[in-house]
Amino acid sequence: MHHHFNAYRHHAAHPLASVDARVKLVSALALLVMVLSSQGVAFPLAVAALGLALCLHLGTPLRILALRFSEPLFIAVMVLALKTFFSGTIPMFSIGVAGWELVGHRDGLAAGLLIAGRILGGVSLLAVVGFSTPFTELMAALSWLRVPQVLVDIALFAWRYLFLLLEDAQVVYNAQKNRLGYVGCRRALSSLGTLAGVLVIKAFDNSQSITTAMVQRGYDGAMPASVHRPLRAVEVGSAFLLVSAIAVLRLMS
Amino acid sequence: MLGKLHNMRVPAPGGGGLGRGIAAAGWPVSIATVFLFLPSPAHAMHISEGILPFPWALAWFVVLVPFLALGIRQLNALAREDLSMKPLVGLLTAVVFIISCMPIPVPTAGTCSHPCGTGVSAILVGPMVSVIIAAVSLLIQALFLAHGGLSTLGANTLSMGVVGSFAGWFAFRALRRVGGSLALAGFIAGLVADWATYATTSLLLALGIRGESPLWPLVVKIVIAFLPTQLPLGILEGVITAGMVTLLYRKRPDLLVKMRVITEKEVPGNA
Repeated sequence: MHHHFNAYRHHAAHPLASVDARVKLVSALALLVMVLSSQGVAFPLAVAALGLALCLHLGTPLRILALRFSEPLFIAVMVLALKTFFSGTIPMFSIGVAGWELVGHRDGLAAGLLIAGRILGGVSLLAVVGFSTPFTELMAALSWLRVPQVLVDIALFAWRYLFLLLEDAQVVYNAQKNRLGYVGCRRALSSLGTLAGVLVIKAFDNSQSITTAMVQRGYDGAMPASVHRPLRAVEVGSAFLLVSAIAVLRLMS
Repeated sequence: MLGKLHNMRVPAPGGGGLGRGIAAAGWPVSIATVFLFLPSPAHAMHISEGILPFPWALAWFVVLVPFLALGIRQLNALAREDLSMKPLVGLLTAVVFIISCMPIPVPTAGTCSHPCGTGVSAILVGPMVSVIIAAVSLLIQALFLAHGGLSTLGANTLSMGVVGSFAGWFAFRALRRVGGSLALAGFIAGLVADWATYATTSLLLALGIRGESPLWPLVVKIVIAFLPTQLPLGILEGVITAGMVTLLYRKRPDLLVKMRVITEKEVPGNA
Protein backbone atom coordinates (compact mmCIF):
# COMPACT_ATOMS: atom_id res chain seq x y z
CA MET A 1 0.00 0.00 0.00
CA HIS A 2 2.89 2.33 0.64
CA HIS A 3 3.78 2.32 -3.04
CA HIS A 4 0.17 3.16 -3.91
CA PHE A 5 0.08 6.05 -1.48
CA ASN A 6 3.60 7.24 -2.21
CA ALA A 7 3.15 7.10 -5.98
CA TYR A 8 2.61 10.85 -5.99
CA ARG A 9 6.24 11.56 -5.14
CA HIS A 10 7.26 10.07 -8.51
CA HIS A 11 5.19 12.69 -10.30
CA ALA A 12 5.61 15.81 -8.19
CA ALA A 13 7.57 17.54 -10.97
CA HIS A 14 5.00 16.83 -13.69
CA PRO A 15 2.93 19.82 -14.86
CA LEU A 16 -0.29 17.93 -14.07
CA ALA A 17 0.81 17.66 -10.44
CA SER A 18 0.87 21.44 -10.14
CA VAL A 19 -2.70 21.83 -11.40
CA ASP A 20 -5.10 22.76 -8.61
CA ALA A 21 -6.63 19.66 -7.00
CA ARG A 22 -10.10 21.24 -7.23
CA VAL A 23 -9.81 21.60 -10.99
CA LYS A 24 -8.62 18.01 -11.38
CA LEU A 25 -11.32 16.61 -9.11
CA VAL A 26 -14.21 18.50 -10.73
CA SER A 27 -12.97 17.60 -14.22
CA ALA A 28 -12.61 13.95 -13.24
CA LEU A 29 -16.11 13.88 -11.73
CA ALA A 30 -17.60 15.45 -14.88
CA LEU A 31 -15.86 12.87 -17.07
CA LEU A 32 -16.91 10.09 -14.70
CA VAL A 33 -20.56 11.05 -15.10
CA MET A 34 -20.11 10.99 -18.89
CA VAL A 35 -18.45 7.56 -18.72
CA LEU A 36 -21.17 6.11 -16.49
CA SER A 37 -24.01 7.43 -18.60
CA SER A 38 -22.42 6.38 -21.88
CA GLN A 39 -24.45 3.92 -23.94
CA GLY A 40 -21.61 2.98 -26.26
CA VAL A 41 -18.32 1.29 -25.48
CA ALA A 42 -16.10 3.57 -27.57
CA PHE A 43 -16.28 6.56 -25.24
CA PRO A 44 -15.43 4.77 -21.96
CA LEU A 45 -12.57 2.95 -23.68
CA ALA A 46 -11.26 6.22 -25.13
CA VAL A 47 -11.34 7.79 -21.65
CA ALA A 48 -9.57 4.70 -20.27
CA ALA A 49 -6.87 5.04 -22.94
CA LEU A 50 -6.50 8.76 -22.21
CA GLY A 51 -6.26 8.10 -18.48
CA LEU A 52 -3.73 5.33 -18.94
CA ALA A 53 -1.63 7.51 -21.26
CA LEU A 54 -1.68 10.32 -18.69
CA CYS A 55 -0.63 7.90 -15.94
CA LEU A 56 2.30 6.75 -18.09
CA HIS A 57 3.20 10.33 -18.99
CA LEU A 58 3.19 11.17 -15.31
CA GLY A 59 6.01 8.64 -15.03
CA THR A 60 4.11 6.13 -12.96
CA PRO A 61 6.19 2.97 -12.67
CA LEU A 62 4.62 0.10 -14.60
CA ARG A 63 4.60 -2.10 -11.51
CA ILE A 64 2.50 0.40 -9.58
CA LEU A 65 0.22 0.90 -12.56
CA ALA A 66 -0.21 -2.86 -12.91
CA LEU A 67 -1.02 -3.20 -9.21
CA ARG A 68 -3.58 -0.39 -9.39
CA PHE A 69 -5.31 -1.79 -12.45
CA SER A 70 -5.04 -5.50 -11.68
CA GLU A 71 -8.25 -5.87 -9.70
CA PRO A 72 -10.47 -3.68 -11.92
CA LEU A 73 -9.01 -5.29 -15.03
CA PHE A 74 -9.71 -8.75 -13.66
CA ILE A 75 -13.27 -7.76 -12.80
CA ALA A 76 -13.73 -6.24 -16.26
CA VAL A 77 -12.50 -9.41 -17.98
CA MET A 78 -14.73 -11.58 -15.82
CA VAL A 79 -17.76 -9.38 -16.50
CA LEU A 80 -17.01 -9.56 -20.20
CA ALA A 81 -16.70 -13.35 -20.18
CA LEU A 82 -19.75 -13.96 -18.02
CA LYS A 83 -21.93 -11.53 -19.93
CA THR A 84 -20.83 -13.04 -23.25
CA PHE A 85 -21.47 -16.62 -22.27
CA PHE A 86 -24.31 -16.37 -19.77
CA SER A 87 -26.50 -13.55 -20.98
CA GLY A 88 -27.90 -12.49 -24.31
CA THR A 89 -29.98 -14.30 -26.88
CA ILE A 90 -28.18 -13.96 -30.23
CA PRO A 91 -25.62 -16.78 -30.65
CA MET A 92 -22.31 -15.68 -32.12
CA PHE A 93 -19.84 -18.55 -31.56
CA SER A 94 -19.38 -21.58 -29.37
CA ILE A 95 -16.42 -23.24 -27.69
CA GLY A 96 -16.04 -26.56 -25.95
CA VAL A 97 -14.62 -26.60 -22.43
CA ALA A 98 -14.20 -29.95 -20.64
CA GLY A 99 -17.14 -31.44 -22.45
CA TRP A 100 -19.32 -28.37 -21.98
CA GLU A 101 -20.40 -26.29 -24.93
CA LEU A 102 -20.28 -22.60 -24.11
CA VAL A 103 -22.18 -20.34 -26.47
CA GLY A 104 -21.06 -16.75 -26.82
CA HIS A 105 -23.84 -14.24 -27.50
CA ARG A 106 -23.51 -11.09 -29.56
CA ASP A 107 -25.75 -8.96 -27.32
CA GLY A 108 -24.11 -10.39 -24.19
CA LEU A 109 -20.70 -9.45 -25.55
CA ALA A 110 -21.92 -5.91 -26.25
CA ALA A 111 -23.32 -5.54 -22.72
CA GLY A 112 -20.14 -6.96 -21.22
CA LEU A 113 -17.94 -4.64 -23.27
CA LEU A 114 -19.97 -1.65 -22.13
CA ILE A 115 -19.64 -2.50 -18.43
CA ALA A 116 -15.95 -3.42 -18.82
CA GLY A 117 -15.34 -0.13 -20.62
CA ARG A 118 -17.07 1.83 -17.88
CA ILE A 119 -15.00 0.08 -15.20
CA LEU A 120 -11.73 0.82 -16.98
CA GLY A 121 -12.73 4.39 -17.84
CA GLY A 122 -13.76 5.17 -14.28
CA VAL A 123 -10.71 3.57 -12.70
CA SER A 124 -8.38 5.38 -15.12
CA LEU A 125 -9.86 8.74 -14.18
CA LEU A 126 -9.42 8.09 -10.47
CA ALA A 127 -5.89 6.82 -11.09
CA VAL A 128 -4.88 10.06 -12.82
CA VAL A 129 -6.27 12.12 -9.93
CA GLY A 130 -4.73 9.84 -7.30
CA PHE A 131 -1.29 9.69 -8.94
CA SER A 132 -1.06 13.43 -9.55
CA THR A 133 -2.45 14.80 -6.28
CA PRO A 134 -1.24 14.52 -2.68
CA PHE A 135 -3.82 13.19 -0.22
CA THR A 136 -4.01 16.40 1.80
CA GLU A 137 -4.73 18.47 -1.32
CA LEU A 138 -7.47 16.05 -2.32
CA MET A 139 -9.04 16.40 1.11
CA ALA A 140 -8.81 20.19 0.87
CA ALA A 141 -10.52 19.98 -2.53
CA LEU A 142 -13.29 17.83 -1.06
CA SER A 143 -13.69 20.39 1.71
CA TRP A 144 -13.98 23.13 -0.93
CA LEU A 145 -16.64 21.03 -2.66
CA ARG A 146 -18.67 21.25 0.58
CA VAL A 147 -18.06 17.69 1.71
CA PRO A 148 -18.86 17.90 5.46
CA GLN A 149 -15.77 19.02 7.36
CA VAL A 150 -16.07 16.24 9.93
CA LEU A 151 -15.62 13.64 7.15
CA VAL A 152 -12.52 15.43 5.93
CA ASP A 153 -11.17 15.65 9.50
CA ILE A 154 -11.71 11.93 10.07
CA ALA A 155 -10.04 11.11 6.74
CA LEU A 156 -7.02 13.23 7.69
CA PHE A 157 -6.73 11.55 11.10
CA ALA A 158 -7.09 8.10 9.52
CA TRP A 159 -4.49 8.93 6.89
CA ARG A 160 -2.03 10.26 9.45
CA TYR A 161 -2.18 7.17 11.66
CA LEU A 162 -2.85 4.45 9.12
CA PHE A 163 0.81 3.64 8.62
CA LEU A 164 1.58 3.61 12.34
CA LEU A 165 -1.19 1.07 12.85
CA LEU A 166 0.09 -0.97 9.92
CA GLU A 167 3.52 -1.04 11.54
CA ASP A 168 1.93 -2.14 14.82
CA ALA A 169 -0.10 -4.81 13.05
CA GLN A 170 3.00 -6.18 11.34
CA VAL A 171 4.98 -6.26 14.60
CA VAL A 172 2.19 -8.08 16.45
CA TYR A 173 1.65 -10.44 13.53
CA ASN A 174 5.33 -11.35 13.34
CA ALA A 175 5.44 -11.90 17.10
CA GLN A 176 2.41 -14.18 16.87
CA LYS A 177 3.81 -16.04 13.91
CA ASN A 178 7.17 -16.60 15.60
CA ARG A 179 5.25 -18.16 18.49
CA LEU A 180 3.38 -20.49 16.10
CA GLY A 181 0.26 -18.38 16.41
CA TYR A 182 -0.85 -19.26 12.91
CA VAL A 183 -0.28 -23.00 13.02
CA GLY A 184 -3.65 -24.63 12.65
CA CYS A 185 -7.01 -23.11 11.98
CA ARG A 186 -8.12 -22.69 15.58
CA ARG A 187 -4.94 -20.95 16.75
CA ALA A 188 -4.93 -18.78 13.65
CA LEU A 189 -8.48 -17.64 14.38
CA SER A 190 -7.60 -16.87 17.97
CA SER A 191 -4.46 -14.97 16.90
CA LEU A 192 -6.41 -12.89 14.38
CA GLY A 193 -8.92 -11.93 17.06
CA THR A 194 -6.09 -10.92 19.37
CA LEU A 195 -4.47 -8.93 16.56
CA ALA A 196 -7.69 -7.01 15.94
CA GLY A 197 -8.07 -6.39 19.68
CA VAL A 198 -4.50 -5.11 20.03
CA LEU A 199 -5.05 -2.74 17.10
CA VAL A 200 -8.18 -1.35 18.74
CA ILE A 201 -6.36 -0.88 22.06
CA LYS A 202 -3.53 0.91 20.29
CA ALA A 203 -6.07 3.07 18.46
CA PHE A 204 -7.66 4.05 21.78
CA ASP A 205 -4.34 4.78 23.47
CA ASN A 206 -2.98 6.72 20.50
CA SER A 207 -6.16 8.79 20.29
CA GLN A 208 -5.73 9.85 23.91
CA SER A 209 -2.10 10.88 23.48
CA ILE A 210 -2.85 12.60 20.17
CA THR A 211 -5.66 14.59 21.78
CA THR A 212 -3.43 15.63 24.67
CA ALA A 213 -0.73 16.78 22.27
CA MET A 214 -3.23 18.62 20.08
CA VAL A 215 -4.97 20.32 23.01
CA GLN A 216 -1.59 21.61 24.16
CA ARG A 217 -1.26 23.19 20.72
CA GLY A 218 -4.67 24.85 20.89
CA TYR A 219 -6.99 22.15 19.49
CA ASP A 220 -10.58 22.90 20.48
CA GLY A 221 -12.36 20.26 18.40
CA ALA A 222 -12.12 22.07 15.07
CA MET A 223 -9.29 21.42 12.64
CA PRO A 224 -7.75 24.47 10.97
CA ALA A 225 -9.64 25.31 7.81
CA SER A 226 -7.87 24.44 4.58
CA VAL A 227 -6.41 27.45 2.87
CA HIS A 228 -7.03 27.54 -0.86
CA ARG A 229 -5.07 29.67 -3.24
CA PRO A 230 -7.24 31.51 -5.76
CA LEU A 231 -8.20 29.42 -8.75
CA ARG A 232 -6.10 30.29 -11.78
CA ALA A 233 -8.12 31.30 -14.82
CA VAL A 234 -5.74 29.43 -17.14
CA GLU A 235 -6.24 26.15 -15.27
CA VAL A 236 -10.01 26.52 -15.02
CA GLY A 237 -10.29 27.59 -18.66
CA SER A 238 -8.08 24.74 -19.91
CA ALA A 239 -9.99 22.16 -17.87
CA PHE A 240 -13.31 23.54 -19.07
CA LEU A 241 -12.18 23.39 -22.69
CA LEU A 242 -10.85 19.85 -22.28
CA VAL A 243 -14.01 18.55 -20.60
CA SER A 244 -16.21 20.37 -23.13
CA ALA A 245 -14.24 18.94 -26.05
CA ILE A 246 -14.56 15.44 -24.60
CA ALA A 247 -18.28 16.00 -24.05
CA VAL A 248 -18.69 17.03 -27.68
CA LEU A 249 -16.75 13.96 -28.80
CA ARG A 250 -19.01 11.82 -26.64
CA LEU A 251 -22.11 13.32 -28.19
CA MET A 252 -20.68 12.73 -31.64
CA SER A 253 -19.84 9.10 -30.82
CA MET B 1 -2.84 -7.62 2.18
CA LEU B 2 -0.40 -6.57 4.85
CA GLY B 3 2.15 -8.79 3.17
CA LYS B 4 1.60 -6.90 -0.05
CA LEU B 5 1.51 -3.60 1.78
CA HIS B 6 4.88 -4.15 3.31
CA ASN B 7 6.66 -5.79 0.46
CA MET B 8 8.87 -2.77 -0.02
CA ARG B 9 10.34 -3.28 3.40
CA VAL B 10 12.94 -5.58 4.86
CA PRO B 11 11.16 -8.83 5.73
CA ALA B 12 10.82 -9.31 9.44
CA PRO B 13 11.95 -12.52 11.13
CA GLY B 14 9.43 -15.18 10.48
CA GLY B 15 8.87 -13.58 7.11
CA GLY B 16 5.71 -13.30 5.14
CA GLY B 17 2.79 -10.99 5.47
CA LEU B 18 -0.48 -11.36 7.20
CA GLY B 19 -2.33 -12.25 4.02
CA ARG B 20 0.11 -15.02 3.19
CA GLY B 21 0.01 -16.21 6.76
CA ILE B 22 -3.75 -16.52 6.66
CA ALA B 23 -3.53 -18.45 3.46
CA ALA B 24 -0.86 -20.70 4.93
CA ALA B 25 -3.09 -21.31 7.92
CA GLY B 26 -5.44 -22.99 5.52
CA TRP B 27 -8.32 -20.58 5.41
CA PRO B 28 -11.28 -22.04 3.67
CA VAL B 29 -10.92 -20.73 0.17
CA SER B 30 -13.30 -22.55 -2.11
CA ILE B 31 -12.23 -23.86 -5.47
CA ALA B 32 -15.64 -25.13 -6.38
CA THR B 33 -15.08 -24.51 -10.05
CA VAL B 34 -18.51 -25.80 -10.87
CA PHE B 35 -19.81 -22.44 -9.78
CA LEU B 36 -17.69 -20.83 -12.47
CA PHE B 37 -20.32 -21.95 -14.89
CA LEU B 38 -23.14 -20.27 -13.07
CA PRO B 39 -24.39 -17.17 -14.81
CA SER B 40 -23.30 -14.64 -12.23
CA PRO B 41 -21.64 -11.26 -12.60
CA ALA B 42 -18.15 -10.75 -11.30
CA HIS B 43 -17.65 -8.17 -8.63
CA ALA B 44 -15.69 -7.42 -5.51
CA MET B 45 -17.39 -7.08 -2.21
CA HIS B 46 -16.86 -3.41 -2.87
CA ILE B 47 -18.80 -2.74 -6.02
CA SER B 48 -16.20 -1.66 -8.55
CA GLU B 49 -16.05 1.77 -10.14
CA GLY B 50 -18.17 1.90 -13.27
CA ILE B 51 -20.33 -1.17 -12.70
CA LEU B 52 -23.43 0.73 -11.60
CA PRO B 53 -25.18 2.89 -14.20
CA PHE B 54 -25.25 6.58 -13.28
CA PRO B 55 -28.92 6.75 -12.13
CA TRP B 56 -28.41 3.85 -9.70
CA ALA B 57 -25.11 5.22 -8.42
CA LEU B 58 -26.82 8.54 -7.74
CA ALA B 59 -29.84 6.89 -6.14
CA TRP B 60 -27.71 5.10 -3.53
CA PHE B 61 -25.99 8.38 -2.64
CA VAL B 62 -29.42 9.92 -2.04
CA VAL B 63 -30.48 6.99 0.17
CA LEU B 64 -27.22 7.30 2.11
CA VAL B 65 -27.49 11.03 2.84
CA PRO B 66 -29.84 10.83 5.89
CA PHE B 67 -27.65 8.20 7.55
CA LEU B 68 -24.53 10.25 6.93
CA ALA B 69 -26.24 13.37 8.26
CA LEU B 70 -27.33 11.61 11.45
CA GLY B 71 -23.87 10.11 11.89
CA ILE B 72 -22.20 13.50 11.47
CA ARG B 73 -24.63 15.06 13.93
CA GLN B 74 -23.95 12.37 16.51
CA LEU B 75 -20.20 12.53 16.04
CA ASN B 76 -20.19 16.32 16.38
CA ALA B 77 -22.22 16.03 19.59
CA LEU B 78 -19.84 13.41 20.99
CA ALA B 79 -16.82 15.50 19.97
CA ARG B 80 -18.19 18.49 21.86
CA GLU B 81 -18.32 16.38 25.04
CA ASP B 82 -15.00 14.64 24.50
CA LEU B 83 -12.24 16.17 22.38
CA SER B 84 -10.64 12.76 21.83
CA MET B 85 -13.64 11.46 19.87
CA LYS B 86 -12.55 12.67 16.43
CA PRO B 87 -9.00 11.31 16.73
CA LEU B 88 -10.46 8.06 18.09
CA VAL B 89 -12.90 7.71 15.22
CA GLY B 90 -10.07 8.53 12.80
CA LEU B 91 -7.93 5.77 14.27
CA LEU B 92 -10.82 3.31 14.25
CA THR B 93 -11.28 4.21 10.59
CA ALA B 94 -7.66 3.20 10.02
CA VAL B 95 -8.33 -0.10 11.85
CA VAL B 96 -11.41 -0.81 9.72
CA PHE B 97 -9.40 0.13 6.63
CA ILE B 98 -6.71 -2.41 7.54
CA ILE B 99 -9.24 -5.16 8.34
CA SER B 100 -11.17 -4.56 5.12
CA CYS B 101 -7.97 -4.69 3.06
CA MET B 102 -7.28 -8.36 3.78
CA PRO B 103 -8.19 -9.99 0.45
CA ILE B 104 -9.54 -13.51 0.19
CA PRO B 105 -9.95 -14.90 -3.34
CA VAL B 106 -13.47 -15.65 -4.60
CA PRO B 107 -12.91 -17.89 -7.62
CA THR B 108 -16.63 -18.28 -8.22
CA ALA B 109 -17.12 -14.54 -8.55
CA GLY B 110 -13.83 -13.86 -10.27
CA THR B 111 -12.57 -11.44 -7.68
CA CYS B 112 -11.47 -11.00 -4.07
CA SER B 113 -13.48 -10.64 -0.94
CA HIS B 114 -12.57 -9.50 2.55
CA PRO B 115 -13.88 -8.92 6.07
CA CYS B 116 -15.86 -5.70 6.60
CA GLY B 117 -14.75 -4.53 10.04
CA THR B 118 -17.90 -2.51 10.54
CA GLY B 119 -19.25 -4.98 13.11
CA VAL B 120 -16.28 -4.07 15.31
CA SER B 121 -16.74 -0.34 14.86
CA ALA B 122 -20.52 -0.51 15.38
CA ILE B 123 -20.08 -2.29 18.71
CA LEU B 124 -17.54 0.27 19.89
CA VAL B 125 -18.92 3.60 18.68
CA GLY B 126 -22.48 2.79 17.64
CA PRO B 127 -23.97 2.27 14.19
CA MET B 128 -24.35 5.92 13.24
CA VAL B 129 -20.71 6.85 13.78
CA SER B 130 -19.79 3.52 12.19
CA VAL B 131 -21.42 4.77 8.97
CA ILE B 132 -18.92 7.65 8.96
CA ILE B 133 -16.05 5.23 9.56
CA ALA B 134 -17.13 3.05 6.65
CA ALA B 135 -17.64 6.02 4.33
CA VAL B 136 -14.18 7.47 4.98
CA SER B 137 -12.49 4.09 4.81
CA LEU B 138 -14.18 3.36 1.47
CA LEU B 139 -13.30 6.82 0.15
CA ILE B 140 -9.59 6.28 0.81
CA GLN B 141 -9.73 2.81 -0.73
CA ALA B 142 -11.48 4.16 -3.83
CA LEU B 143 -9.04 7.02 -4.34
CA PHE B 144 -5.79 5.18 -3.71
CA LEU B 145 -6.32 1.45 -4.12
CA ALA B 146 -9.01 1.23 -6.83
CA HIS B 147 -11.09 -0.85 -4.41
CA GLY B 148 -14.66 0.24 -4.94
CA GLY B 149 -15.01 3.64 -6.55
CA LEU B 150 -16.26 7.19 -6.22
CA SER B 151 -19.43 6.53 -8.18
CA THR B 152 -20.15 3.39 -6.13
CA LEU B 153 -19.24 4.99 -2.81
CA GLY B 154 -22.92 5.50 -1.98
CA ALA B 155 -23.84 1.87 -2.68
CA ASN B 156 -20.79 0.48 -0.91
CA THR B 157 -21.27 2.68 2.15
CA LEU B 158 -24.93 1.75 2.25
CA SER B 159 -24.19 -1.97 2.31
CA MET B 160 -21.05 -1.99 4.46
CA GLY B 161 -21.63 1.10 6.59
CA VAL B 162 -25.37 1.27 7.09
CA VAL B 163 -26.66 -2.30 6.79
CA GLY B 164 -23.49 -3.95 8.13
CA SER B 165 -23.19 -1.61 11.10
CA PHE B 166 -26.84 -1.69 12.09
CA ALA B 167 -27.13 -5.46 11.67
CA GLY B 168 -24.03 -6.04 13.79
CA TRP B 169 -25.03 -3.51 16.42
CA PHE B 170 -28.59 -4.83 16.77
CA ALA B 171 -27.36 -8.42 17.00
CA PHE B 172 -24.83 -7.48 19.68
CA ARG B 173 -27.29 -5.45 21.74
CA ALA B 174 -30.06 -8.04 21.46
CA LEU B 175 -27.82 -10.87 22.59
CA ARG B 176 -26.40 -8.83 25.48
CA ARG B 177 -29.92 -7.92 26.54
CA VAL B 178 -30.95 -11.56 26.79
CA GLY B 179 -27.82 -12.39 28.78
CA GLY B 180 -25.47 -13.56 26.03
CA SER B 181 -21.77 -13.45 26.84
CA LEU B 182 -19.52 -10.81 25.27
CA ALA B 183 -17.79 -13.45 23.17
CA LEU B 184 -21.04 -14.90 21.82
CA ALA B 185 -22.56 -11.48 21.19
CA GLY B 186 -19.35 -10.34 19.47
CA PHE B 187 -19.21 -13.45 17.32
CA ILE B 188 -22.83 -13.17 16.17
CA ALA B 189 -22.44 -9.41 15.62
CA GLY B 190 -19.43 -9.92 13.34
CA LEU B 191 -21.13 -12.78 11.52
CA VAL B 192 -24.39 -10.94 10.97
CA ALA B 193 -22.64 -7.70 9.95
CA ASP B 194 -20.61 -9.56 7.32
CA TRP B 195 -23.44 -11.60 5.88
CA ALA B 196 -25.86 -8.66 5.90
CA THR B 197 -23.28 -6.59 4.01
CA TYR B 198 -22.89 -9.23 1.33
CA ALA B 199 -26.62 -9.79 1.00
CA THR B 200 -27.13 -6.06 0.53
CA THR B 201 -24.23 -5.78 -1.93
CA SER B 202 -25.81 -8.60 -3.96
CA LEU B 203 -29.16 -6.83 -4.00
CA LEU B 204 -27.68 -3.44 -4.98
CA LEU B 205 -25.61 -5.03 -7.72
CA ALA B 206 -28.54 -6.97 -9.10
CA LEU B 207 -30.68 -3.84 -9.14
CA GLY B 208 -27.96 -1.97 -10.99
CA ILE B 209 -27.02 -4.49 -13.65
CA ARG B 210 -30.12 -6.59 -14.25
CA GLY B 211 -31.35 -4.65 -17.26
CA GLU B 212 -34.51 -6.43 -18.39
CA SER B 213 -33.79 -9.60 -16.39
CA PRO B 214 -35.97 -10.53 -13.40
CA LEU B 215 -34.47 -9.27 -10.12
CA TRP B 216 -34.63 -12.09 -7.59
CA PRO B 217 -33.13 -14.90 -9.68
CA LEU B 218 -30.19 -12.61 -10.34
CA VAL B 219 -29.85 -11.76 -6.63
CA VAL B 220 -29.84 -15.47 -5.81
CA LYS B 221 -27.15 -16.13 -8.45
CA ILE B 222 -24.93 -13.39 -7.04
CA VAL B 223 -25.42 -14.65 -3.49
CA ILE B 224 -24.59 -18.20 -4.61
CA ALA B 225 -21.45 -16.96 -6.35
CA PHE B 226 -20.22 -15.46 -3.08
CA LEU B 227 -21.41 -18.26 -0.79
CA PRO B 228 -18.29 -20.44 -0.91
CA THR B 229 -16.24 -17.56 0.43
CA GLN B 230 -18.77 -15.60 2.39
CA LEU B 231 -19.95 -18.44 4.59
CA PRO B 232 -16.49 -19.04 6.09
CA LEU B 233 -15.56 -15.36 5.85
CA GLY B 234 -18.57 -14.41 7.96
CA ILE B 235 -17.48 -16.93 10.56
CA LEU B 236 -13.95 -15.52 10.36
CA GLU B 237 -15.27 -12.03 10.92
CA GLY B 238 -17.35 -13.28 13.85
CA VAL B 239 -14.28 -14.85 15.44
CA ILE B 240 -12.22 -11.69 14.92
CA THR B 241 -14.95 -9.58 16.50
CA ALA B 242 -15.37 -11.96 19.43
CA GLY B 243 -11.61 -12.12 19.94
CA MET B 244 -11.38 -8.35 19.88
CA VAL B 245 -14.19 -7.84 22.39
CA THR B 246 -12.93 -10.49 24.81
CA LEU B 247 -9.37 -9.16 24.61
CA LEU B 248 -10.61 -5.67 25.43
CA TYR B 249 -12.66 -7.10 28.31
CA ARG B 250 -9.64 -8.92 29.76
CA LYS B 251 -7.00 -6.25 29.18
CA ARG B 252 -8.79 -2.90 29.02
CA PRO B 253 -12.36 -3.12 30.37
CA ASP B 254 -12.19 0.63 31.04
CA LEU B 255 -12.34 1.22 27.29
CA LEU B 256 -15.49 -0.87 26.95
CA VAL B 257 -17.05 1.08 29.83
CA LYS B 258 -16.09 4.37 28.20
CA MET B 259 -17.69 3.28 24.93
CA ARG B 260 -20.77 2.07 26.85
CA VAL B 261 -20.34 -1.49 25.63
CA ILE B 262 -20.44 -2.78 29.22
CA THR B 263 -21.37 -1.14 32.53
CA GLU B 264 -19.10 -0.49 35.52
CA LYS B 265 -20.71 -3.42 37.29
CA GLU B 266 -19.60 -5.83 34.59
CA VAL B 267 -15.92 -4.91 34.93
CA PRO B 268 -13.97 -7.88 36.36
CA GLY B 269 -13.62 -7.38 40.12
CA ASN B 270 -16.52 -4.91 40.35
CA ALA B 271 -19.32 -7.47 40.34
